[in-house]
Amino acid sequence: MACGSTSLWAGETSWFCCGSSWGPCGSTGTGACGTCQSGKNMAAWPNLTAACWSVTDPAACGENMPRRGCGSVVKVKHQCSGAAVCVTLADCGPNTQMWCGEQTCCNGACRTHRVIDLTPAAFSAIGSLSSGLLPVYIYE
Amino acid sequence: MTGRHGIDRRSVLTSAALGGATIVGASALGGLDADAAFAAPMPSLDPAVSRSSFVDGRVSRIKGSTLDVVESDGTHRLVRLTNATSVWKLETVTAEAVETGDGLYARGVEMPDGSVAADAVWVNIVNLYVTVRGIERSRLHLSHGRNTLVGRIVAKRTTASFRGGALTSDLSQLKIGHHAQVLGAWRPADDSVDIARISVGH
Repeated sequence: MACGSTSLWAGETSWFCCGSSWGPCGSTGTGACGTCQSGKNMAAWPNLTAACWSVTDPAACGENMPRRGCGSVVKVKHQCSGAAVCVTLADCGPNTQMWCGEQTCCNGACRTHRVIDLTPAAFSAIGSLSSGLLPVYIYE
Repeated sequence: MTGRHGIDRRSVLTSAALGGATIVGASALGGLDADAAFAAPMPSLDPAVSRSSFVDGRVSRIKGSTLDVVESDGTHRLVRLTNATSVWKLETVTAEAVETGDGLYARGVEMPDGSVAADAVWVNIVNLYVTVRGIERSRLHLSHGRNTLVGRIVAKRTTASFRGGALTSDLSQLKIGHHAQVLGAWRPADDSVDIARISVGH
């Protein structure tokens, strides 16, 4: 699938590890789609399935993003730097309802609520892993 | 990218790596701001140079400024550190802090010989969803998935954020049962994690 330019959503992104890796990440598994790898440009989406949605519950924060299944491709762009990465959805997450009200800002503009999680490879393509969170726009 | 230092960062990386010089820590070009370097996304770097590369694995050997990294499938990747490389290990450190056995994520430029000239290396960095199971003065007992984990509170380094609030060094609001995310540095020697930041959700 293509990595498009139609606006889909906006919010915060965090990062997570998956697949075979080192340290505490060695036991995380390959995600809800069975394909997730930290070293590939992949992502977790809160509305991957109905079951996923019931856990992540983005609606609790007022976020009602559409369903996109395993293998869907989206583009994630840093709100300020413009750096972008195309990612394949491979897991369910983040647990949006846990972080209602949280915001991440750059250049005085903020994005609220965690709406996507990126693998280390994808997150590091648009920012620093040590920042933990980035404000992003999402396209498809 | 030509940043505020007036230096094309990727050109620095490639020329340093291609030149074969062992220049870690030498800083012949002058200091590059570490935070800015970590935050600099690869796509904004000089497009004339080939696409960025990413390495995920454990350091099996260190020879000069080159790290031999073994990826999860057993593939060996050489990661070359230059004086333009930023290294994070709980905080911004020098390349000498990297040890055999460390895990790392490296972002850089693939060189003609297959090695990666790194512009940023995050050593032992983890970002884990956890539940607080116990609280002591200098450490937290955490569960991560089905596993238990000790999180070390590092003086003057560990900070916390509660329900989206500002970062604070005051962890007194932390309670058993809290769900949180821990950004920190894994310690291979005892499998614990030094906590840089713990973010507590609702």
